[in-house]
Amino acid sequence: MQMGKKKDKALNESESTIDMKPMIHENAQFFDKLVELIPARFYLPDEKDKPWFQGLSKAEKASAKKQSRENIKKARRDRLDPEKSTKTTLDLLKENLEKEKSNMDSDGEEKEIEVRPIMSDLDGGEERSVTYEELRGSLRSKIEELRGSRNIPSSDKGKKRKNERNDKKGNLQKKQKSDGVVEEKKIDSINDEHNVEKDIVEEAANKLIFSRVKLGDNEDKREDSKKESTKSELLAKHSWKSAMDRAAGIKVHDNPKLLKQSIQKEKKRHQKNAEKWHERVETMKKLKAEKQQKRSENIADKIHQKKMLRIAKREKKLLRPGFEGRKGST
Amino acid sequence: MARFRNQRKNKVFVKPIVKKNQQQQPNVDHITGNKIPKSFVFSRGKLPGPIRQLQMDLRKLMLPYTALNLKEKKRNNLKDFLNVAGPMGVTHFLILSKTETSPVLRVAKTPQGPTLTFKIQEYSLAVDIAQSQLRPRCPQDLFKNPPLIVLSGFAAGDEHLKLTTTVFKNIFPDIDINTVKLSSCQRIVCLNYNKDTKFIDFRHYSIRLQPVGVSRRIRKFVQNHQVPDLRNLQDVSDFVTKAGYGSESEADEEAATVTLTSDLSRVNRASTKSAVKLQEIGPRMTLQLTKIEGGLCSGEVMFSEYGNGGNKKKPDSEEDGDNDDEMKDSDEDNEGEDSEEDIGESEEDEED
Repeated sequence: MQMGKKKDKALNESESTIDMKPMIHENAQFFDKLVELIPARFYLPDEKDKPWFQGLSKAEKASAKKQSRENIKKARRDRLDPEKSTKTTLDLLKENLEKEKSNMDSDGEEKEIEVRPIMSDLDGGEERSVTYEELRGSLRSKIEELRGSRNIPSSDKGKKRKNERNDKKGNLQKKQKSDGVVEEKKIDSINDEHNVEKDIVEEAANKLIFSRVKLGDNEDKREDSKKESTKSELLAKHSWKSAMDRAAGIKVHDNPKLLKQSIQKEKKRHQKNAEKWHERVETMKKLKAEKQQKRSENIADKIHQKKMLRIAKREKKLLRPGFEGRKGST
Repeated sequence: MARFRNQRKNKVFVKPIVKKNQQQQPNVDHITGNKIPKSFVFSRGKLPGPIRQLQMDLRKLMLPYTALNLKEKKRNNLKDFLNVAGPMGVTHFLILSKTETSPVLRVAKTPQGPTLTFKIQEYSLAVDIAQSQLRPRCPQDLFKNPPLIVLSGFAAGDEHLKLTTTVFKNIFPDIDINTVKLSSCQRIVCLNYNKDTKFIDFRHYSIRLQPVGVSRRIRKFVQNHQVPDLRNLQDVSDFVTKAGYGSESEADEEAATVTLTSDLSRVNRASTKSAVKLQEIGPRMTLQLTKIEGGLCSGEVMFSEYGNGGNKKKPDSEEDGDNDDEMKDSDEDNEGEDSEEDIGESEEDEED
């Protein structure tokens, strides 16, 4: 049938192009018939939400199953019922088209409705963040309140630490500056009833002392002390002074015992050296003497040997057999 | 026979500080040219557990110029320690002992320097302090450099306070401002003298520098390398530019900010502001200065908190009258004293 129709079309096309309408109509009908063959639920878009059975509880699942079974039964009955009008796929499609047309007009309104909920969400979010910020702001104000009611010295200590850290040129200059500032503050805050001396003492007490810092100054300068009258005072002063020096690493030669010991040591060393020198001299002498002696011995020996030789020579003549010489003859 | 036994020399069992791959510690500081002060921390007499822990904590505090694994035997005298101290270049002794009332810390300068005796009123161990903190901090090379020291409240005092400051200042090596490395100043010891109660507070902190003026988020990100949570943000610019409030402590320490002169680490760069943060480590003590002696645990008592025993001598020695020598090595000093504390002291001296 298709093929036939196509052939007819091909034949008729050449004849007249004005006959488009009935052709289109025929095609439309053909397509409609095809659509009718397809069951509605496969062809048309699903309007309802798909039933989701997975997350439900047992009871819910059971009721859902029951409902679906009933739906199936109902649908079958409707389908096979000769009295009820059957809505073909085509009809349903037509209904959908009409619906869409009506929706198109009211589309704009829907969009607005959709947009608004988002806006409200944003508002909610902002509100939430605002409250968070408010909380933080209140916390900060509380902290500042507490900070305002704090003591002065803590901030001074901070300043002091800062001064400790400032490198490059000597600590001392900066320390003195900051101490001046501290002193002023203290004077203001202390009552007039206190003595001036006390003020100075308190200020001095608040000065910080740091690790021993090498500044390139000569630190070993010793002050010359006045001579005090009393012996005990002198003693006490000396003991404190020596203790301070010792603590600072300077060697103080105070102890008479140890001083004596070191003198003795020196003496003994000197003695030993002198002894060694003497020994050396002695041995040198000895060696020299020995050598001389040996030498002279050897020389004497040689002379003696020579003499003996001469005698021997002389005697040799006499030893010749048959010699009638000197001593033997009468 | 007994006589011969006593004449046998008692040697101190001291493990040398030499580690396998390291050279021996220098005696003279290369930079300042002064002698580096080294110390021994040990105890006299049997001590209970917490005080031994305190001794360990003090040893850690004095690192690196101290013998960490110093082993002492019961029979070691002070003389033995002295004999070893000379060749090893040790300049200070920190001696812990216990009397009936409280533990006692003696700080002495070898070989015949003054001895300061402190009574430890209260103390906390380093472990306790770490447990009390939320985030205890102990970076690895914390004890590789000696600590700084800050004394406060001592300046206006008498001779004895001045002596105390001198002694403490010289326990730790000098700082040369021109050549010191900021990164090597990692610990600080603070001593505070309370005029009213006459107690000295002893604290030990670790120093940390934190850049200031950077938002918390960025700072944390750069320091910890933790990938930030960008789930709720539209754009990275939100993360970077979000204005956040700083923490409480950041607001407090505006006075404690410094401008660094050199780069300390990736985060703390030169000529930027950094905040100095101290976190307590190490032992915490409350000390009371009770006695100052002219010699090493001997000699003339120059200062005594309780007034008695100051210059008490036996009538014999007074009659001798030659007081031209101030430093008498006399054991007679201690015999005339009556207070319980001093009895304890004399017991210890007899042990010595």
